[in-house]
Amino acid sequence: MIITNNLTKAYGDQTALDHLELKVNEGEIYCLLGANGAGKTTAINLLLGFISPTSGSAFINQLNVQENPKAIKRFLAYIPENLMLYPSLTAVENLDYFSGIAGKKLNTEQLKKFLEEAGLQSEAFDNRISTFSKGMRQKVGIAIALAKDAKVLLLDEPTSGLDPKASNEFGLLLQKLRKKGVATLMATHDIFRAKEVATHIGIMKDGQLKQQFVADDISLSELEKAYLNTMEYKELAL
Amino acid sequence: MISKTFFKETKELLRDGRVRAALVIVLFLLGVAVWISARQYKNINEQYAAAKTAERAVWDNQGEKNPHSAAHYGTYAFKPKYPLSLVDQGVDKYAGTSIFLEAHKRNEAQFSAAADQTGLARFGDLTPDFILLFIIPLLIVLLGYNSFTKEREMGTLTLLKSQGISTWKWVWGKWSALFFPILLITATLFLVAGLVLSNLEDFGVFNWGTLLVMFLVYMAYYAIFTNLVLFISAKAKKSGIALVISLSVWILACLAIPKAASNIAEDRYPYPTRQEFAANVLKDKKEGLDGHNPWSKEAKLLQEKVLKEHGVDSLHQLPFNFDAYRMQKGEEHEAEVYFKHYNYLKDQFANQNRVYRTLATLSPYLPTRFMSMALAHTDYTTHWDFADAAENYRIASQKFLNDNFAENSEYGNWAYQADASFWKQLPAFEYDPPELRTVLAKNASNLGILGIWLLGSFTLLFFTVKTV
Amino acid sequence: MFNYNFKYELKLLLRSRWIQLLSIVLLLLFGFSAYNGKQKVEKRKAAIAAAHDEVNENDVMMLKLLDSVERGMEVSASRWTIPTSPMAVGNYHPRVAAMDPLPLAFIATGQADLFTHYVKPTVSGDDFALNFTEMTSPVQLLFGSFDLAFVIIYLLPLLIIAFSYNVLSSEKESGTLRLLAAQPIGIQNWVLQKLGLRFLWLSVLVIGALVITFLVFGLDIFSQGTAVAKMAALILAYMLFWFAISFLVNLWAGSSAKNAVLLLGLWVLFVLLVPSVLNQLGETLYPMPSRTLMVNEMRGMKAEVTKRQDEILDNFLRDHPEYAINDSTQSRGFYHRYMASKKLIEKELAPVVNAYEEQLQRQQNWVGRFKWISPAIITQESLNQMAGTSTQDYENFRKQVVVFANTWREHFMPFLYNNRDFSQTDYPNLPKFQFEQKPYSSLGVIPLLLIISIGLFGLGFWTSSKERRESIIGSS
Repeated sequence: MIITNNLTKAYGDQTALDHLELKVNEGEIYCLLGANGAGKTTAINLLLGFISPTSGSAFINQLNVQENPKAIKRFLAYIPENLMLYPSLTAVENLDYFSGIAGKKLNTEQLKKFLEEAGLQSEAFDNRISTFSKGMRQKVGIAIALAKDAKVLLLDEPTSGLDPKASNEFGLLLQKLRKKGVATLMATHDIFRAKEVATHIGIMKDGQLKQQFVADDISLSELEKAYLNTMEYKELAL
Repeated sequence: MISKTFFKETKELLRDGRVRAALVIVLFLLGVAVWISARQYKNINEQYAAAKTAERAVWDNQGEKNPHSAAHYGTYAFKPKYPLSLVDQGVDKYAGTSIFLEAHKRNEAQFSAAADQTGLARFGDLTPDFILLFIIPLLIVLLGYNSFTKEREMGTLTLLKSQGISTWKWVWGKWSALFFPILLITATLFLVAGLVLSNLEDFGVFNWGTLLVMFLVYMAYYAIFTNLVLFISAKAKKSGIALVISLSVWILACLAIPKAASNIAEDRYPYPTRQEFAANVLKDKKEGLDGHNPWSKEAKLLQEKVLKEHGVDSLHQLPFNFDAYRMQKGEEHEAEVYFKHYNYLKDQFANQNRVYRTLATLSPYLPTRFMSMALAHTDYTTHWDFADAAENYRIASQKFLNDNFAENSEYGNWAYQADASFWKQLPAFEYDPPELRTVLAKNASNLGILGIWLLGSFTLLFFTVKTV
Repeated sequence: MFNYNFKYELKLLLRSRWIQLLSIVLLLLFGFSAYNGKQKVEKRKAAIAAAHDEVNENDVMMLKLLDSVERGMEVSASRWTIPTSPMAVGNYHPRVAAMDPLPLAFIATGQADLFTHYVKPTVSGDDFALNFTEMTSPVQLLFGSFDLAFVIIYLLPLLIIAFSYNVLSSEKESGTLRLLAAQPIGIQNWVLQKLGLRFLWLSVLVIGALVITFLVFGLDIFSQGTAVAKMAALILAYMLFWFAISFLVNLWAGSSAKNAVLLLGLWVLFVLLVPSVLNQLGETLYPMPSRTLMVNEMRGMKAEVTKRQDEILDNFLRDHPEYAINDSTQSRGFYHRYMASKKLIEKELAPVVNAYEEQLQRQQNWVGRFKWISPAIITQESLNQMAGTSTQDYENFRKQVVVFANTWREHFMPFLYNNRDFSQTDYPNLPKFQFEQKPYSSLGVIPLLLIISIGLFGLGFWTSSKERRESIIGSS
């Protein structure tokens, strides 16, 4: 479960995140939509404890992020926009290392099971990451989340740069995790993908959460209209 | 195009805090180094002048004495410090400063400064040559290692390419931007050194021409480093790699190869130890005439020869003191023995020099180092030259003393004493270091190697960077 | 976390070929430098052996001559070299006062290229004029020697820098840092473990290369066990210092290039600048008196003394009545006067000559007070001490030789002033020189290095504030 209370981050005069109130329950996928610089990544950095808030607070599984920077990371998995792994290690080895330093000791069989669950073809398990595409690396990232048994998943633009097929596969994976009861927060500017995978959608601008929807209550075109309105996008008179 | 790149690069450098800090530190160190060296130079030359006068006074005021006693009493030749040692101290601290000139013996220069220093001195001194030879090349590395790689990393390279620039002009712009601050620092140093020296009381002969040649040598040295650093930057994939490679080049050229060269030279062409050398000399001396020993075989042979030449049958009938004559002949034999053994040392030194020159193809530091020392008159060759001059003076003064002994007394008269005023007639020892033209001619090979490095590195830079 | 870092750090290092490359580089550097050191030691040993041989040969000749003279036979040697004269023995048959190399002498040239390892003091020679410098090309002295100490002091830190400058920044630049930071670990701890492991592997490689080098060059590492262990401990402590510096820079600075530049600046500071500045300050604060002026003073004194030779001899004999009583001939020659004057000159010159040793001592004390500023200085000093080639070793040697020269001279004084002939029976009683190595408490250096390193590590933890961590991780 992810909760933020009046979460604010300011850099000097600039407010990157302005009193964010957010709640993502188990089994929900919350998509944050917004343009570059809207505050999505700042929110995720704050939830990870990478930066500290100017005011307000963030909670992961009832634990204050600020006060428990290490403990929250036990329940949490994170996939950055461009997930990078050790290029000279294989998929299995990378998974072993990252879950290992997070405190999960797994044998090779278990590791392979997680990679399989994350949708990676078994031929690639023992190949070096340097040969992997972005989509394949993200599958390893999901495998890390699975191996960790993460309760919370934070995603930053996970589908940017993926081809439609890989993007679709990734959506299916998220659904799988949702069913397991994972609370997912995903920052994206891909409206189409958001509508498809999200249970809840929020639109951000200038650090503020402008609008929130339950995904099933709104059609894609309505969502697009709402998004463009929020961005104060003037329709071109054709 | 060239000037555009030049100004852009210069601006970038000046806006980088690290670069500003590095420049300030280097200038500060240079200032301190020049100040210390100038002080040392003044001190040592004052001591030199005092010692020289005092020693001459001791010699002149010996009073009535047998000339050969005076020869044993001997005198000293002191080595002065030359003006450009202010810029490059060279081997001065490791070479002796005074030579004792006495009868029968050629002595080595004694009292090197290094022997009176703590072990710390072997790390090096904070002198201008340390900064000129080590620190400024390092500065070039730090300023220039990412000159090309940064364009690639920031992605500005593709943009530049799309502007249709000429690679050649672009590289020139970068080159001059990197070289300009170095030129400025070095020119300032040399100008200050020149002004300091022309305002100091003139002990040696200071010559702006030599200073200029020295400046040009260093400029060539820095141009070579600039070329190498830019070449590496253009060829490397990442700034980090460029930095590591440039640094390795610096370490190899300035630290590792000179040291390795010294070991290889020593290994292949060793000097004898001091005691071995002395033993060898003694052995050869024994095989010839000993001026003090009238009973030896050689002395008897000489006696017969001289008697025959003068057509007399007793030594008493000779028009001069045969004791003194024999002394002089013995002196000549000993001088020859020394000449032979010192020539062997010189040969070894020449061989070692060949090793250094061979290895100079791997390190531009070596020819620069040797050129700079030679121009400053602080190199080993000048030291040899000084020692040879002192030896020639010693031989001449022995002859002067023995001749007086021979002409003014008769055979067997060891009680003869020369006048108290006689000593003043011995000319004073004067030594002038080789002139600029001689130094350049002697170091033609070093200049040649430096020139090859310069041309080679320019070629490397401009003909291979086309593919940037 | 440690197990996983341990396992994967080794894998990463092997796959990036760092371990392989370092092994080759270390073996080459150690091999070449040890070879150079060994060459120098061999030369030193051979020279000393030759000197001993020469003395032995001469002694045989001397005894033969003595035998002939004692049996009343005619001899062909020059009058004043016949060894019945005690002064002839004292001047033409000096003993070798040698300083034999220690087993580890080859690790550091130290001052060995500057100073000679044996002298032969004579009866009539002046102690202060004994030349202790070696006949070496000053160019070699200027460039220095490519010895093990050079590799350890200068090059090893650079290898460490190259090996560790981007432990954290490369993760940031390659993008793995954000994933790492999302794991329940402390970043300082993680950096510390990574560096710790690299220290471990480099230590293994260094010790391995060292042992191989020693074995190849025939050093008996078992009989020299303690010395080798001490040396290894010193090297490790010095390496730890550089890893500590690297740890700090990794936590403080940002990009790999920035780290490298900063670390390099620190290398120049510690290895090149601090030693030369300290040296320069020592020399400025405690300047050596001029040797040329000393020559003047000595000359003046000698000229003065020569004029009063007879008077000096009389005074001397008055102070030593034993000589006057035991001698029946009472004949006085050149050497009687010379030796008496010489004693006087030495006594009067003593303060002038001692001024150098004293000033050197002052400079050394000054360096001693500040040397810990640069671990390069203390490590170099300790290596020199282990090799027996430090300034102090040569100072000891000089002092012991001067004492011996005096013993040698005094040995002949009763012969001279009693006008007694030297005979075969006196031969076994000639004094002999034995150099005594002074032990050092150089072990103190290792704890000092450890304390400095631990202090630096502590500083790293203490100063790597949250804000700084945020600026490293937060900015992607």
